[in-house]
Amino acid sequence: MNTETATYAVSWVSEQSTGTRALQQEQQLNRFLAEVERRALRIAEIGVRDRDDALDLVQDAMIKLARKYGDRSSAEWAPLFYRILQNGVRDWHRRQAVRNRVMVWFGRGASGDDEYDIVAAAPDPSGRSPDEELQNSEAMVSLEAAVHALPARQREAFMLRTFEGLNVAGTATAMGCSQGSVKTHYSRAIHSLRETLGEHGPQGSEDG
Amino acid sequence: MKKSDEQIAREAKALFDASVDELDAATLSTLNQGRHRALEAAQSPRGELLRWVPAAGIAAAVLVGVMVSLPGSGTIEVMPSTVADMELLLGEDSLDMFEELEFYSVLDVMDQGDDVS
Repeated sequence: MNTETATYAVSWVSEQSTGTRALQQEQQLNRFLAEVERRALRIAEIGVRDRDDALDLVQDAMIKLARKYGDRSSAEWAPLFYRILQNGVRDWHRRQAVRNRVMVWFGRGASGDDEYDIVAAAPDPSGRSPDEELQNSEAMVSLEAAVHALPARQREAFMLRTFEGLNVAGTATAMGCSQGSVKTHYSRAIHSLRETLGEHGPQGSEDG
Repeated sequence: MKKSDEQIAREAKALFDASVDELDAATLSTLNQGRHRALEAAQSPRGELLRWVPAAGIAAAVLVGVMVSLPGSGTIEVMPSTVADMELLLGEDSLDMFEELEFYSVLDVMDQGDDVS
């Protein structure tokens, strides 16, 4: 084998290896997004109380993650993804505030939350007895309202820690704050939820 | 008896998971489509040329501004704040920023009056 052929062979093997790595990375990213997308949607939906807007926010977060951080290690994706999503939710609230002000100027009061029918938006029943379904649905409606009523940072800390299962460090990365702040926000959120939902907390069918 | 923080979190998680499991087929389909769009977007990023057009325009305007603001000077001095502005403008989010320039200017005014947490 002469030098030119050897160089070509090395180059070809290198290209194949890069292509394989890229494919593996894309498959990994696909698995990550498929695994996280439904919980992300519900988290965004609790944040903005509108499913269509939540779907847009989740899709936007997926696109930004894939574009900007697709080549990062998969361990980094969850905090980064939720950071993008939480930024999207915050921007959504700012836009709503601006929109509501404009609507007030034009004499059309913002109806906002009043338009959101949380019962109509509740998930379709499946796999449970009607009683259990009703109990869970009512409990989830109460919980969702209570979580939504939390201050934004407390809500983020609670949802990321409890619903998504991120650890303190991951939550801190996602929220862009210190781990100490995460612990404080989380603790206050739990305290507020206990007060809002009663000292017995949320009660679905799992609780008997 | 009062529940512990862990119990409250566990029960909230159970309710949340149940609501996730019960998402309807139409919503799951939309999520699936969104995921595939994201993966496609990762493979074909925005056109590089398009991405640089607004940044180049603003860069030229800033350069002219600096030249005009320093009459009689033999050399053009670029101030540190101008360099920071240029970095911001040439960043990856430049298109998003230009698309929503008016929105951000309104936000700026709002932020001066409100302390948003």
